[in-house]
Amino acid sequence: MTTTTETGTDTPVAPKRNYSVLFALTLLGLLLLLCTGLAIANPIFLSELNITNLLRQGSMIAILAIGQTFVIITAGIDLSVGAIAGFSTVIIAMLLQAGVAPWLAIVITLLVGLGIGIFHGFGITRMGLPPFIITLATMTSLRGIGLLMTRGSTISINNTGFTDFSTQSFLRIPSLFWMVILVAVPAYIFLDHTRWGRYLFAVGSNPESARLSGVRVGRIVFMAYALSAFFAAFVGVLLATRIGIGNATQADGWELQAIASTVIGGTSLFGAIGSIHGPLIGAFILAVINNGANLLNVNSFWQRIITGFLIIVIVFFDQMRRRGR
Amino acid sequence: MMTAPTATATAQATAQADQPILELRGLQKNYGQVQALKPASLAFRRGEIHAIVGENGAGKSTLIKLLTGVIRRSGGEVLLDGAPVALASPEEAIAHGINAVHQEVVLCRHLTVAANVFLGDEQTRYGLLRKRQMTRDAQRILDEMGFNIPAGAMLGSLTIGQQQLVATARATVRGTRFMIFDEPTAYLTRQEAAELFTLIRRFKDEGMTIVYISHRMEEVFELADRVSVLRDGTLVGTRDIDETTETELVSLMINRTLDQIYHKEQIPRGAVLLETRGLTGKGFREISLSVHAGEIVGLYGLIGAGRSEFALSLFGRHPATAGEICWKGQPVRIRDVNAAIGLGIALAPESRRDQGLNLNLPIGLNLNLPVYDRITFGPLVAAREEASRADRQIADLAIKTPGRRTLASSMSGGNQQKIVIGKWLNHGAEVFIFDEPTVGVDVGTKAEIYRLFAALLKRGAGIILISSYLPEVYELADTLHVFRGGRMAGTHRYRDAADEVVLAEAIGVE
Repeated sequence: MTTTTETGTDTPVAPKRNYSVLFALTLLGLLLLLCTGLAIANPIFLSELNITNLLRQGSMIAILAIGQTFVIITAGIDLSVGAIAGFSTVIIAMLLQAGVAPWLAIVITLLVGLGIGIFHGFGITRMGLPPFIITLATMTSLRGIGLLMTRGSTISINNTGFTDFSTQSFLRIPSLFWMVILVAVPAYIFLDHTRWGRYLFAVGSNPESARLSGVRVGRIVFMAYALSAFFAAFVGVLLATRIGIGNATQADGWELQAIASTVIGGTSLFGAIGSIHGPLIGAFILAVINNGANLLNVNSFWQRIITGFLIIVIVFFDQMRRRGR
Repeated sequence: MMTAPTATATAQATAQADQPILELRGLQKNYGQVQALKPASLAFRRGEIHAIVGENGAGKSTLIKLLTGVIRRSGGEVLLDGAPVALASPEEAIAHGINAVHQEVVLCRHLTVAANVFLGDEQTRYGLLRKRQMTRDAQRILDEMGFNIPAGAMLGSLTIGQQQLVATARATVRGTRFMIFDEPTAYLTRQEAAELFTLIRRFKDEGMTIVYISHRMEEVFELADRVSVLRDGTLVGTRDIDETTETELVSLMINRTLDQIYHKEQIPRGAVLLETRGLTGKGFREISLSVHAGEIVGLYGLIGAGRSEFALSLFGRHPATAGEICWKGQPVRIRDVNAAIGLGIALAPESRRDQGLNLNLPIGLNLNLPVYDRITFGPLVAAREEASRADRQIADLAIKTPGRRTLASSMSGGNQQKIVIGKWLNHGAEVFIFDEPTVGVDVGTKAEIYRLFAALLKRGAGIILISSYLPEVYELADTLHVFRGGRMAGTHRYRDAADEVVLAEAIGVE
């Protein structure tokens, strides 16, 4: 390089990275504040039983939210995750009922989820359908397919080894929460430390620029939806261990809770902004609100209202700070 | 403003005429520790055309944004007709009669021209839109201005130049007294630019004050009454246009003389790198040309002449439908972008915002986007290599930024263009296609880019340079191809035809 301009050297080097850390700490602070408040209001909150219960409740939404994050970072959306989770309980229940070994049943269920995600990728990149539409279509039809397969009834799972999993704990931490860690750590490495993660952000920010920089945009979109659906199928397996049945109507509305967790966690619905820890904290904030409302005997309808209010407040402050910096 | 009660009406009127319409007193803007605009004081006279020139990052955009209420000032004050105004929002600026036409049109492509003209100011009756009335009124306004644009057409169906004219028309219906043009001719054809100049002069005659921002000196001297120069956020001077010269202005903007800008070196021409034979695709037909190592091939033509389409096709974005491409003598098929990159072709595309950059991502990520497949350590990105590569481009290209984590969107046009170029220097290539590399780029950065071309050529690369700005391709290209209506209308060696001839070929007059 022979450029010899010396004017640029006096610019201060002051990278601004602390914003996302600050936001994460604020969320964490909010979570702790909620917990402290509830602990004071009702001592039962801190009981081991309640905490365990809370972690189990939050875990499944948290995993869905992580999958959802990959999709939302590409400026897409996956409305089907709740339906996939419900559908997966049916698949695994039927497989177990047919005497398939649990490990094999789990693998098959996960592959079915992966297939659904690949179908989404196909619809978006090859058929040119908007993500909202194709996942909305899957969301309604999967419930229908699941109900057809079970003829509208519920399949119970008799494999006690399988259903016991959800009630077990390891190091006094519920197994379901371990599953969150199992998913979140690789997800974090994937998003922040591999080139695929970089590409997700690039596609979400400007797909045309990404394509002209040599990123295979179609593959990245496939990948995002495949991951989201795969995680949703995994949640379906966990749900099946927890409720011990296969029923296509389960996990109703979970897609919205997952999206809410993601957004509360600082992910931008316009793409290219997001993290793994954000949705995690977001999911547990929602879980604490739910749990707290139950403990304080607040009408459960209020939970929904509070959740909606929280989304507005957090996203509003987040936007304001992004603009103000 | 205190006026003695005994003052006569005439005295008042004179006072008003002498009083500047808009006065800046120590106006400044800081972003954190960076001073984008150092305290500036300047008075705009009523009914003048006041040009503002300066390199990219000199603070021109900051000044416009402050005046149009897009951003809020950090200090100082603005006086409108002698009274301080806050200019806290775009709405407030418009209410004061301050309006701007931006370089890149920010209107709604899916609405009609008339709907855009009256956007936010619609005519209604019983709460319903009076569409026919608005179309008629808009047509009348456009006709009066001498624009040949149908008011009922969708904005998206117009050329960028025509859209710019619509944006101008739109600003006039809102009682504008103070109009800012931010590089309005960047995307205009000569014809359209001429129409715009006529219009600007008419506005002036009607008493409107005009601030005209441009990188093109000839426009400044053609239009302006006075000119102010910004350098590194400092207002370094204001001159009457009759009392200054191009040389003086350029030396105020940078410490460099004009003939150093077009930097061309004698570089021996090497082997043929890329050759097309009868290449045909969407927007261009039967293009045959070759690019040698050490050679700049210029593609000149008006916007829409098929040059960018040809470039995108070479780069595999819209593969050609007929004809063939040879790479170093071997016929190749370029089916997608990755195939082109794999051969050794790089493209700095026409639109930085739409095609070139991931604006809301860090500079470092933008710079490394084409090379992530090389800087991995197992499945992971090699963080140190990623950082050092980004820092190297920032240092080599003198990109003015606090650091590689800064978002690309916060950079000025010239620095953004450097990021687009740095991305491909980081990756490396043998044929570089630069599509309008200096649109919206200041003189200083232009010179840097041209020197960079020479450096690339010396290393054995070939360059395809696409430009709508004739002096650029005329002074730099070893071989100059002229495009018109998707076809090649002429080919010249370096300076073997007069520039009028080239221009005539491009616009199709004999």
